Amino acid sequence: MSDFLQAGQITEATQALERLRANMRVTIKGKDEVVEHVLVCLVAGGHLLIEDLPGVGKTTLAYSLARSMDCVFSRVQFTSDLLPSDVTGVAIYDETIKEFVFKKGPVFANVVLADEINRATPKTQSALLEVMDRAKVTVDGQAHAVGSPFMVFATQNPVDYEGTFPLPESQMDRFLMRLQMGYPQAVDELEILRTQRGGYDAIALNPVVTRGEVVKLQAFAHGVFVEDSVLDYILKIVTATRTESEFRAGVSVRGGLALRTAAQARALVKGRDFVLPEDVAELVTAVLAHRLGLVRQTSDALEERRAVGAVLKRIVAAIPLPA
Amino acid sequence: MSARGERGLASSGGPTAIARRAQLTPEELHQVKWMLGGVLTLLAVWTVFYMDVTAWSLLLATTLTTLAALVWPRLPARVPALAHTLAFPVIVAFFAGDLWLTSEVLPALVRLGMWLLMYRGISYRQRRDDLQVIVLGLFLIVVAGVLTVSLLFAVQILIYTGCALGFLLVITLTDSLEGGQKPRPHKAGDMPNWAAHADWVRLFRRLREVADWRVVTLGGVLVAAVLGLSAGLFLALPRFQWENSLFLDRYVAKKARSGFSDSIKFGDVSEIIQDTSVALSVDVSDRSQVPMAPYWRMVVLDEYRDGSFRFSAGLKREALGKDRTDTALRGEAHPRRGEAVYWTFYLESGVSRYLPLLGEFEQVQFREPQNFQYAAELNVVALRNEPVSMTAYRVESMDTSGILRDPAFARRWQERDPAVAPRMVMQRRVGVGDSDRTRLEQIVAEIAMGGPGLAADEFTRRTEEWLRKNHAYSLSPRVPGGGGDPLVRWLFSHEPGHCELFAGAFVLLARTAGFPARLVTGFRGGTWNGFSNNFTIRNSDAHAWAEIFDESTGAWVRGDALGVAAAAETSEAQREAAWVRRMDRSWSARFDSLRVFWYRRIVNFDQRSQVEALRAVKMATQNSGKRLREAVEQLGADLKTWLSAPWDGVRVIKSGAVVALVGGMTWWWIAVGRGLVRGRRLWRGGRRSDPVRLLAGRWLGEIAGYRSASGESRELQELVGALQRVRFGPRETWPEPVGLFRRARRVLREVRRQRRAEG
Repeated sequence: MSDFLQAGQITEATQALERLRANMRVTIKGKDEVVEHVLVCLVAGGHLLIEDLPGVGKTTLAYSLARSMDCVFSRVQFTSDLLPSDVTGVAIYDETIKEFVFKKGPVFANVVLADEINRATPKTQSALLEVMDRAKVTVDGQAHAVGSPFMVFATQNPVDYEGTFPLPESQMDRFLMRLQMGYPQAVDELEILRTQRGGYDAIALNPVVTRGEVVKLQAFAHGVFVEDSVLDYILKIVTATRTESEFRAGVSVRGGLALRTAAQARALVKGRDFVLPEDVAELVTAVLAHRLGLVRQTSDALEERRAVGAVLKRIVAAIPLPA
Repeated sequence: MSARGERGLASSGGPTAIARRAQLTPEELHQVKWMLGGVLTLLAVWTVFYMDVTAWSLLLATTLTTLAALVWPRLPARVPALAHTLAFPVIVAFFAGDLWLTSEVLPALVRLGMWLLMYRGISYRQRRDDLQVIVLGLFLIVVAGVLTVSLLFAVQILIYTGCALGFLLVITLTDSLEGGQKPRPHKAGDMPNWAAHADWVRLFRRLREVADWRVVTLGGVLVAAVLGLSAGLFLALPRFQWENSLFLDRYVAKKARSGFSDSIKFGDVSEIIQDTSVALSVDVSDRSQVPMAPYWRMVVLDEYRDGSFRFSAGLKREALGKDRTDTALRGEAHPRRGEAVYWTFYLESGVSRYLPLLGEFEQVQFREPQNFQYAAELNVVALRNEPVSMTAYRVESMDTSGILRDPAFARRWQERDPAVAPRMVMQRRVGVGDSDRTRLEQIVAEIAMGGPGLAADEFTRRTEEWLRKNHAYSLSPRVPGGGGDPLVRWLFSHEPGHCELFAGAFVLLARTAGFPARLVTGFRGGTWNGFSNNFTIRNSDAHAWAEIFDESTGAWVRGDALGVAAAAETSEAQREAAWVRRMDRSWSARFDSLRVFWYRRIVNFDQRSQVEALRAVKMATQNSGKRLREAVEQLGADLKTWLSAPWDGVRVIKSGAVVALVGGMTWWWIAVGRGLVRGRRLWRGGRRSDPVRLLAGRWLGEIAGYRSASGESRELQELVGALQRVRFGPRETWPEPVGLFRRARRVLREVRRQRRAEG
């Protein structure tokens, strides 16, 4: 990677990201780590899956990000009767021109909030996931590119599984990261109680970053330098998940690449043009946990998430950081 | 080795985590703890080898179950819950039953300890249980320790101590990881996380990874310190013999296969001969004093009845004095001119309560007060109890001639009334039936060849000859069947026999001929250990011979048909040849010499040896210092001579070549070699890391220890940023590394100074 970043570019990226962060903090109280991870995901050009109980701010987080950027935002509420065409769009026969015209669906935006993604049928989920992977929709043999940047913000509730269609592991692999919101601290919750007004429409934030800037940030992230020993470290972690007897299967090559990309993005978010090993270590759980499943059966999904997290932590602790 | 738990991981974000090192996870620590616990259990239960406690099946069961649980940590989860519920009631019931049946407290306690250890070995242990393992192990170790003085045991306790220290360290680490909170007790059949994915190969690989030179050095220094301290105490402290002061009963000590006692049946001595272990080691201050064929006398057996010899109650009463408790015993021998010869005996446990001696002595000295009886007439010293550990005693000026003066007996013999039947104490009763006696008289007549009144020495010579002529020596003798006395039957046959038969027959013949005679048991011969320079006598050297009273000299003379005639090896050359034959430089002698070195260290009759040892240490230190000083001075003088010699072209070229070579090697070391050594892990993986990057990493590691989350100087932050850039950043953007490292050194020095000032 010889096309390393210039000092000016770093400053530019840092400033843009700082604006975004500050703007999101207005709505999202006391969740700096989550906000940082969201920024990492954005800069890395990945998609985000947020899992948590209802009402802890998943959707608010998506809204606050979308409205901080000068981007097209759309929200799809997934239900069991949602059809693929409801998401991607549909070709309609236009009487006036005597032709089928493609009517774009809600995915044709820059930030798409797929709320409660596991409530839709696998067919609809697949339609979305295809778009996520390829950033375009093909209808009647014709490809339609979605917006750039393109980021899917999916949410799901891991506890209430009644009438849902859990995402298979192969599809989970398409999300760069999976995050949990968690309950806010008492101080922050008091602040929310004091200031928050009802309804998402009340989240009125001014865009602080343009679409072009986001694209540029994503390009910068690819230019962040990764030294060989850090790559070696990533490889060791990925290999360790493959030899770990507790996991059904190890992390895929795509998982390893995702970890590298995310680490590059984190370095940029932290204002660096090179990756430190702790960038990798910090992101292991967020980037890899949702790609792994346990061999043994667990009583519920939360228990499995916790167990996978514990094993990953053990693996990270066991592999020495490059000195 | 250090541990990091969840808390550590959570706080590792941010700048403080730069130099995080490889560490064991809590689960791996648990695995290490499990391993150490198992090893401790095994070391503790194996002390039963040193004790005479019937617990072999229990020992085997404990060893097997502990080993199985050690190898497969998932195994304890399979133990049914019922076993856990019943374990303690069953063990208590077993202990009570054991106590009731055997009525021996200590062996029962030892067995209880083993049961508990076995149970602890096959169940997942809490902190409390881990400590219980240490305490139970310590109990067994201490019990075995006071009962034995063995080099092997010293090694075992050293290993045990090391493991126990490591075990306590791991317990502390796991405990601190759990935040001092009481962990949830395991339900029966529940497998803890660590056991579920325990993998020994992985653990050892990880241990190798986390062990760095600091840990290894620290461990080495600690071990050296423990050894040094023990050695210091060992040299400086006076010795104690604990067994006399502790309550521990003698019955739990390990005994040899058999030993010399007050009575002997035919075959007893031969059975001892099967045992090749060391029975006695003797240090002698003057090697030339050791006779060619030393007879180590132990027990005198005077009464012959029903085919066996025994130490008669009458003689015991008469000859053995009262019980005495003393550290020294003055003998009958008079001090001789010249320097006294000291014989130090190390008698192994289980051999006998009778102390082996060559003859009359001036003094016997013990290490500590002993309860003993002394029969001056018989020259026999008997301890009250059979010693449970090695017994050491020192004998001064011992008579090695093999002739035992007995003025008291001589007087009684002179004053005897021939008309009165011989009393037991006169040691003349033959103890066989009339018909047998008649047959014995026939042989005596044959030996005497009609000549009446043979002198004792002539009778001895002829009888020895007669016996050798008629019987061969064999360890598997055949005594012909029939009625009457077995010994007489053997005498009349031509069957081979062992030493007891020869000696017993000699005694019967001598008594028939009218000489007082008796059987003596002990050891004959031995080998000279060429490594430790001491005499080694094995159980296989056990022997029996006879003693006959010589009226003319008033002394007892040895009669041994199997002995080498003393006269045969009197010349100097023959003596030397015999020494060479006797010299033992085999591998077993090497091991025996270790034992003797150990004994010499732990046994002392005065402070002399300690003073000598300390003086030797002092001399060695002084000498090496002196030698070093001399070497340096010599080097200086050589250099001066070399410099003052005239310089010519060849010399200049040669010197230049040497300087270039040294310079080249130094450059290579700085540029490549150092990096190779430091980066060997990456290098092993087939890739060599840039030495400059590695050096930056080293500086980051150094600085990491001085960084704090709060209040860090801007300079330090900048420095860390720059070092990180050199370590992980693109080469094109590096600051100048040499200047950077210099700056790092300066900043670090300042920070250290500041920290010291802050205290």
